[in-house]
Amino acid sequence: MTENKGKILFSGNEAAAEAAIRAGCKFYAGYPITPQNELIAYMADQLPLRDGVFVQAESELAAINMVFGAAASGVRTMTSSSSPGISLKQEGISYIAGSELPAVIINVQRGGPGLGGIGSAQGDYFQSTRSGGHGDYRCMVLAPATAQEMADMTFLAFDLADMYRMPVIVLSDAVTGQMMEGICFDDMEEPKKWSKPWALTGATGRERNIVHSFHLDQEELENFNKKLQAKYEAIKQKECRFETAGGDAPEYVMVAFGSCARTLKQIVTDPPEELKGKLGLFRPITLWPFPGEALAQYAASAKGVLTVEMNAGQMVEDVRLTVNGKIPVHLMPHPGGGIPVEARIRKKLTSLFCDDPPKQ
Amino acid sequence: MPTTNLKELSEMPELLSGGHAACPGCGGPIAIRQALLAAQQDDSYVVTSSATGCMEVVTSIYPNSAWRVPFVHSAFENSASTISGAEAAYQSLKRQGKIKKNIKFIAFGGDGGTYDIGLQALSGALERGHDFTYICYDNEAYMNTGIQRSGATPMGAFTNTAQAGKVGYGKTQTKKDLTAICAAHGIPYVAQVSLHRSRDYLKKIQKAVNTEGPCFINVLSPCPRGWRCKPEDTIRLCELAVNTRVWPVYEIENGRLSISYKPSEKKQKPVRDWLETQGRFKHLFSPKNEHLIEKIQEDIDTRWNDLLRREACDQQN
Repeated sequence: MTENKGKILFSGNEAAAEAAIRAGCKFYAGYPITPQNELIAYMADQLPLRDGVFVQAESELAAINMVFGAAASGVRTMTSSSSPGISLKQEGISYIAGSELPAVIINVQRGGPGLGGIGSAQGDYFQSTRSGGHGDYRCMVLAPATAQEMADMTFLAFDLADMYRMPVIVLSDAVTGQMMEGICFDDMEEPKKWSKPWALTGATGRERNIVHSFHLDQEELENFNKKLQAKYEAIKQKECRFETAGGDAPEYVMVAFGSCARTLKQIVTDPPEELKGKLGLFRPITLWPFPGEALAQYAASAKGVLTVEMNAGQMVEDVRLTVNGKIPVHLMPHPGGGIPVEARIRKKLTSLFCDDPPKQ
Repeated sequence: MPTTNLKELSEMPELLSGGHAACPGCGGPIAIRQALLAAQQDDSYVVTSSATGCMEVVTSIYPNSAWRVPFVHSAFENSASTISGAEAAYQSLKRQGKIKKNIKFIAFGGDGGTYDIGLQALSGALERGHDFTYICYDNEAYMNTGIQRSGATPMGAFTNTAQAGKVGYGKTQTKKDLTAICAAHGIPYVAQVSLHRSRDYLKKIQKAVNTEGPCFINVLSPCPRGWRCKPEDTIRLCELAVNTRVWPVYEIENGRLSISYKPSEKKQKPVRDWLETQGRFKHLFSPKNEHLIEKIQEDIDTRWNDLLRREACDQQN
């Protein structure tokens, strides 16, 4: 498989697992949950053959804390799960962020809250982009829309995690994780090497390293938090990623992320005839940091914005903060699993943005 | 007196209805149906909880339910916690004189939800001493999510996360002895049972639900999908598991162990006969892996001899 230079038919879950191994992931701990089981099975099959360690833990709590330990030792490490399992991992993620350790976490989202369903959803936007666990921390969040992007963004996530010493979440969903597409791994041959002088590798011949997130002294904790916040500010400046479709200066802007953006991309290539004025799509690729400035510029001459999300309306809050009341921001929520169909989005567009919408 | 007569049971109303979505040959619904029939007799009523897992998914996809007794499901890891709360509420209502019914509390869980992620909650509930029975239907892997290894998967079995091929030979670790772990809590009643010994199973359920305090029952539950076996062989496999001593049937009552059935020399079979019946062990018969069969046999002999010693010791005291 490593010799193959062409495209391989893979599910997004398998693509992410393969990309992680190519990125030099040496330790993976997981736990079964639908719809990410292809990922853990691929890791179980491949990682031991390729100089890595695979562990199926006894729970999500155990898995994330194994990743915590592996990260402290300086190896590239990852875990994956789906929404309810990611909720269970939050304590560990907070500790990893608080200990400034690099780790990659893949969330193949399903519907919630509670046990929810196993259909595709984007209900974990808040959880991922704010801080799902306790304390003032952030995770970088990448939102793939295709199986290929699940591979690309997983590969990238390892570099971002090492660069900023923080947990990076790849926020996928059931559709992107389970859909099979042709995947190219050609650009993933040489993972970058990062120096990790902080890692716990055995203190012989050097000062001992200490990895911890415990600061009883209030001033010390405050200073540590300030340092974290300064890091997050720098990330906001440098790491915003997004893509647009439909050309510059659109009059009507649709905003969506992940698999949902794929449907909208289709509409932009063939906008509703009744719509007078250019239609554009803004797709945040990093959800945190949210590419707000870029969106504000893109939508500067727009008359209206429509946010489409596979949840009850979460990213729309960031969109509204961005345009700051200058342009009306509409929401088309789609909670409960499954992707909104193209026809419904077209109808919504014409009903919002046409003076004389066609009667259905 | 509660009955274990199959003819009489067959005339009672089903408490787990047909029409649920379990696969053909699944041991889970047999274990649950028989347990409910055994427990809800005379003036007793049953209240159940279930961990996430095959049995929860196939019986309770909202708004449908196969359960004709009260049934609570919340998360994967907390069947024992959930039943603890229900039982505590019952004790309170009973003290206040607000409830007169005689209610038996039964928590169900598969091996993933019991041996692994639910072990903490189970241990807590056993230690607190709630009056309930926990029944684990052990199909030896996470079958609901597509066959991943669990703490209950035996050594050498193939799963999607314990691969067999050029390098791997399935799960490398041995099966966790959950029945012994539960017994180590010093609870009044623990049993390991087999579905092919129907009357023994029913009796042990009745003993458990009529014993005050926490009780634990472990039942081997064949899974044709995960074990790669024939659906019509479910009960035959249960019998074979007992006769190969892969799954000894025994009970520990107030700390005293007694083996419920010891296969005669004529009936006793080598573990090879057990392994041959299931695709999940197929790779063990390759020349590279065959030595493992001896090791598995040794483990079985060791565990069996430990049981015999323990039984002899308990009988003397």
